[in-house]
Amino acid sequence: MQPTDGTAPASPGPLVVAALSWADPRAVVDPLSAEVTADARAGASAADRCALEHALRLAPLLGGRCVAVTVGPADADLLLRDALAAGADEVLRVDAPVVRDPADDGDTTAAALLTGLARVYGRAPDLVVCGDHSAGRGTGATPAFLAARIGAAQALGLLGVSACDGVVRALRRLDGGRRERLTVPLPAVCSVEPTLALRRGPLASVLRAQRAEVPVVPWEEAAGSARPGVRAGAARPYRPRARLLAAPPGPDARARLRELTGADVRPAARRVVFPDTPAEAADLLIRHLVERGYLEGPPGPGDGESF
Amino acid sequence: MFDVVVVGAGPAGCAAALEAARAGRSVALVERGPYPGAKNVYGGVVYGRVLDELVPRWWELMPVQRWVTRRSTMLMTGTQALTVDFRTEDWGRPPYNGATAFRADLDGWLASLAQDAGAVLVPSTVATGLLRDARGRVTGVSTDRPDGDLTAGVVIACDGVNSFLAKEAGLFRPEPGGRHLTLGVKETLALPRETIEERFALTGRDGLDLEILGCTRGIPGGGFLYTNLDSVSIGVVLGLPGLASAKVRPEELLTDLKAHPAIAPLVRGGRLTEYAAHLIPEGGYDSMPELVGDGILVAGDAAAMCLAAGIWLEGVNFALGAGMYAGRAAAAAVASGDTSATGLAGYRRLLEDSFVLADHRKLRRAPGLVFSERVQRQYPGLVCDVVQGMFQVDNPRPKPGLRRLLTRAARDRRVRLRHLLSDTLTGLRSFG
Ligand SMILES: Cc1cc2nc3c(=O)[nH]c(=O)nc-3n(C[C@H](O)[C@H](O)[C@H](O)COP(=O)(O)OP(=O)(O)OC[C@H]3O[C@@H](n4cnc5c(N)ncnc54)[C@H](O)[C@@H]3O)c2cc1C
Repeated sequence: MQPTDGTAPASPGPLVVAALSWADPRAVVDPLSAEVTADARAGASAADRCALEHALRLAPLLGGRCVAVTVGPADADLLLRDALAAGADEVLRVDAPVVRDPADDGDTTAAALLTGLARVYGRAPDLVVCGDHSAGRGTGATPAFLAARIGAAQALGLLGVSACDGVVRALRRLDGGRRERLTVPLPAVCSVEPTLALRRGPLASVLRAQRAEVPVVPWEEAAGSARPGVRAGAARPYRPRARLLAAPPGPDARARLRELTGADVRPAARRVVFPDTPAEAADLLIRHLVERGYLEGPPGPGDGESF
Repeated sequence: MFDVVVVGAGPAGCAAALEAARAGRSVALVERGPYPGAKNVYGGVVYGRVLDELVPRWWELMPVQRWVTRRSTMLMTGTQALTVDFRTEDWGRPPYNGATAFRADLDGWLASLAQDAGAVLVPSTVATGLLRDARGRVTGVSTDRPDGDLTAGVVIACDGVNSFLAKEAGLFRPEPGGRHLTLGVKETLALPRETIEERFALTGRDGLDLEILGCTRGIPGGGFLYTNLDSVSIGVVLGLPGLASAKVRPEELLTDLKAHPAIAPLVRGGRLTEYAAHLIPEGGYDSMPELVGDGILVAGDAAAMCLAAGIWLEGVNFALGAGMYAGRAAAAAVASGDTSATGLAGYRRLLEDSFVLADHRKLRRAPGLVFSERVQRQYPGLVCDVVQGMFQVDNPRPKPGLRRLLTRAARDRRVRLRHLLSDTLTGLRSFG
């Protein structure tokens, strides 16, 4: 465990950091009161756990050590102890209040993480592995800010990351089911999709993790270095939008409700058709949809192609 | 190597770990869930008096939803309900009596006490078997972790109902499975705090504990409804053999209960936030295993110590008490260097001298009576009919006497007065 007094220890090999976000992915937002009910014991998201697994695999391949970091209150230590139990060499928490400035677009978090790491290790990380999206319904921009701040390469949407002879290679998902192989120069920030399960650490690690002291850097100290950049308005918590339905015609509420629910509409008789060709079948389907009001336009002969 | 390994961070395990750690022993508390309480289910009322011995002024620290100041018992048929409702201000102030609390909060708090005393929590880890030495003495547990053997002077099995550790240690008598088990199913329904206060006539942190008999279509069991701060817990407990032969799904019975005219207005509009099901060992004293073996103690539900006697469903306080004594006995045995069954025998003595076995012994006939055919199927209707007859005004006919009402109700409900009398005597003997 590293000292918290700011002394930078001698650095053996690359610093591989798993940046874990402390958020309850199943937090419930009350649609009326906007109250958020989150469980402090939720643990890391699947993508973050996968990021940690990658970091644990990559650190020995690069001849470095794996440090798990998070920003959060004392409850977040649980997350870090899990990381230690899984085999992380060290952990670090930037102590942050439970409710943070909603206008933080990720840059303050990134700055706090990097300041915290610099404080303890005296340097910037060589490789940061993160989950590929914000489990806490945040902006998801923290990895980008991390990369920008340390001038690192950034690779997103990764299905796998490996290292050989000090070179990091990654497999990235592209649209249409295609894949792209990347060679990632260090320093780098890699965001991974949840493709790997986190390993189960041996019993001795669990025992050690439970007894370990978690080093903490105070928020004020760590977050102070965020530089003013483009400021977005406050990012509001997630709200499901109400769906607007145009009121149907009708003299009174009862009639409108009947109209809306289709209570007075006699269901159309079932019709079974046996078209000879696929084109004929397509025409019949389209005509049916137009008749039912799902598609627009009078279906004339030869109109089929226009749909 | 630990002095004591406790398996299961429920109430029993946490109390055991706390006491052993306080006695200066090295303790590991193994829990299969990611955190204590993650996988645990109960109705929701905990009686904290036993904590007086463990945590001074526990009521200032325990994560409580509401203090139970209203204790109601309801007898119901499909169309009738008779409620005996008691409330007292005394239970709403120190030193309090019962409280509703969520298991994740309660178990987390109890485990943190054990940790503060020096016990090491081992989460997300399943104890998969017992380790033994050449003479068969238990020397620890194996776990599902790589290199996962934990050796110990004493293992305390607090792994809950159907404890496979107690079974593996050979402490249970072989008998047909499920006979003494009931299945508890429960829903938590969110309601605004003000609605709960209005519907249940409560203010501040006051709460209601409602126990229900006659709501299980004759399957041995009962129902309950407890108030939390902004939700209610409602559920049924059902004897497994009866449930199996009735071929009904438990959630159907819970739906019935929620739709009953006496209950529906209380839970109307509640938003379902949790559904849970769990077994309860309700056989009482006669179904308990041996509590002590060479190097092993069993406590709480693992030793069938849940008290289920109709108007009482108390498991947590019995688990806390048993765990506390197990922790003490284990620490003393380790200190004396004798962790054989003889060295650990103090555990049974501590239990005998306390409410844990005293209450169970006194109420040993209660589960049989409460789950009997007549109490479950006939008596709720009988009582409701008598009360309906008493309050129904049939002018110009004169009021019938109580004896006549009773005879008529007994005939309608096919209850023999001889049986009623004998059950009353058994009840008096069991509960008296
Ligand atoms: C529906 C329902 C309603 C109830 N209502 C009430 C009530 O209102 N009041 C009341 O006092 N009691 C109530 N009870 C009973 C009460 O819940 C139990 O009696 C009490 O929880 C017993 O505590 P315990 O510590 O012995 O076991 P548990 O609470 O079952 O704890 C056992 C612990 O062991 C862990 N575990 C199990 N196996 C392993 C393993 N192999 N390795 C590692 N860990 C393991 C489990 O995850 C768990 O944390 C109710 C029970 C049910 C099911």
